[in-house]
Amino acid sequence: MEGNHNICTGCGLLCDDIEVELEKEIVNKVYTACRVGVAHMKEGSREASFLVDGKPVDEPAAIEKAAEILKNAKNPLIFGLGTSTNEAQKKAIELAKKLNATLDDTSSFCLGPVVEALLQEKFKTCTLDDVRHKGDVMVFWGADPSDSHPRHLSKFSYFPRGEQKQRGWEEERTAIAIDIRKSHTAKICGNYFFQIPPGGDAEFINALIDGVSGKLPKTSYGYPPKKLLELANILKGAKFGTIFMGLGLLYSLENLDPIIRLVEVLNEKAKGEFHLIPMVGHYNMRGFNQNLFAETGYVNSVKFENGEAKHGPEYSTVEALKAKTVDAALIIGSDPLASLPRSIAKNLLDIPIISIDPCETLTSKKAKVYFGNAISGVECGGTATRMDGVEVSFNPIIETKRPSDEEILTKLTEAL
Amino acid sequence: MDFGSFLAAPEIKVKIVTYRDIFQNKAMIEDRFGEDYKNTSAVIKMDSADLNQLSVKKGDTVIVKNSFGKIVARVEESGYETSHKGIAYMPNSPWSNMLVSDETGGSGVPKFKDIEATVTTAKGAKITDLEL
Ligand code: SF4
Repeated sequence: MEGNHNICTGCGLLCDDIEVELEKEIVNKVYTACRVGVAHMKEGSREASFLVDGKPVDEPAAIEKAAEILKNAKNPLIFGLGTSTNEAQKKAIELAKKLNATLDDTSSFCLGPVVEALLQEKFKTCTLDDVRHKGDVMVFWGADPSDSHPRHLSKFSYFPRGEQKQRGWEEERTAIAIDIRKSHTAKICGNYFFQIPPGGDAEFINALIDGVSGKLPKTSYGYPPKKLLELANILKGAKFGTIFMGLGLLYSLENLDPIIRLVEVLNEKAKGEFHLIPMVGHYNMRGFNQNLFAETGYVNSVKFENGEAKHGPEYSTVEALKAKTVDAALIIGSDPLASLPRSIAKNLLDIPIISIDPCETLTSKKAKVYFGNAISGVECGGTATRMDGVEVSFNPIIETKRPSDEEILTKLTEAL
Repeated sequence: MDFGSFLAAPEIKVKIVTYRDIFQNKAMIEDRFGEDYKNTSAVIKMDSADLNQLSVKKGDTVIVKNSFGKIVARVEESGYETSHKGIAYMPNSPWSNMLVSDETGGSGVPKFKDIEATVTTAKGAKITDLEL
């Protein structure tokens, strides 16, 4: 990578080719990034901000108050961390152990199960660079990268030239969208958009398995068998195929068996190889899953007890809040009052909240203690795991008076 | 006397599917309490036949509600060629989350993308503000 190229931490793609221009120590211009990335890179450089009960305090006072809340809690929840560096995540795991806390991230209600199956090697996967260099068939299933990972198609999966794909999308790549709605990505896929009814994914998968295996593909919703066979043949003809699995597909399945089976069958029947990559959104959600997995064998939803981790949906943020089993919340880089159903998140208002977030959010506004931290990749450095498992490290671009979440978590641990 | 006001405004049941939108995401990063984020989030896209049935035009505000919450959002035509009467689309946001059920069957996963609600005209009421 050349000297002044930076990493964007705006989404799970962690684009590594970003150029910026600084003016008076703030990011003034951003080149190469998508519009989300530009907005994200320009967020940095604000004054230090520590609040207790909404009033400005200095850092030691905020640490002291936060430590007091955590000490008094019998079962604190530590939640978030999808936009934290690996280093900060490891600190949070250490802190959770020390506190006998419940620890979870957003993956428990999004792509966690798929990352878990991936780490347990239940299906074949590959990197985005492999896709750029070799991919000839890509399936966006219940995923709309044009909105969620804006440079996915242009940097990796469809448009670029690659080592073995010198003629690119015009001749050598086929992009397919399977969705219940005509997303922006589906529009790009043109005739290769397969629209299915809500909840129709599992049946569609089974029909495709039949189609690939030479049987007549049928669905209860009467999807034209001819179209299904056409799709089955494209998949069968792939030399290097990849299914990009989004939330739309995950939420529609009762469990992952059908999609894992499809990848298996495609590897048996197709010309070449077939892979699956979960469309992880936050820049380091996969990192959190991997770090916790290395430590406990689980990717999320754990409760520590004397150094041992217990695991189950009852330790997920959603169930812990619903059942009111947690009595304080340390929330890092996440805004559950905005991102969870209000009917569940409202229970957070009954317990003390400590919020560590670069931005003011609904959650930070309700926090007893708030730490405004540095934005990773813009104001502080570290390492992260890209959505496809590639390790990426980055340096800060600008200076800030704000501490990183890693530093705050270290101080909190010391104060206990 | 305005007899119209005695007639119940038409109401329809919809299944709301949520999705992500790059413009809305950018607006959130820039200012999650700003007008731009509100205007790109509190939007419900419906089939044109459903708009007719509700006697609302695109750009009007509608009340979207169920037993979990109630919001006022701006209605748009989805612009899809294929008819999808009874299915509506909303960007994933704190507004759509006000309508998501707390029923999870113990799985830890709420039905963010599968919301049942009713829609009626809001008779010009303003879009719901983000607060708690
Ligand atoms: S695609 Fe993602 S990582 Fe790349 S510039 Fe956009 S927000 Fe940043």
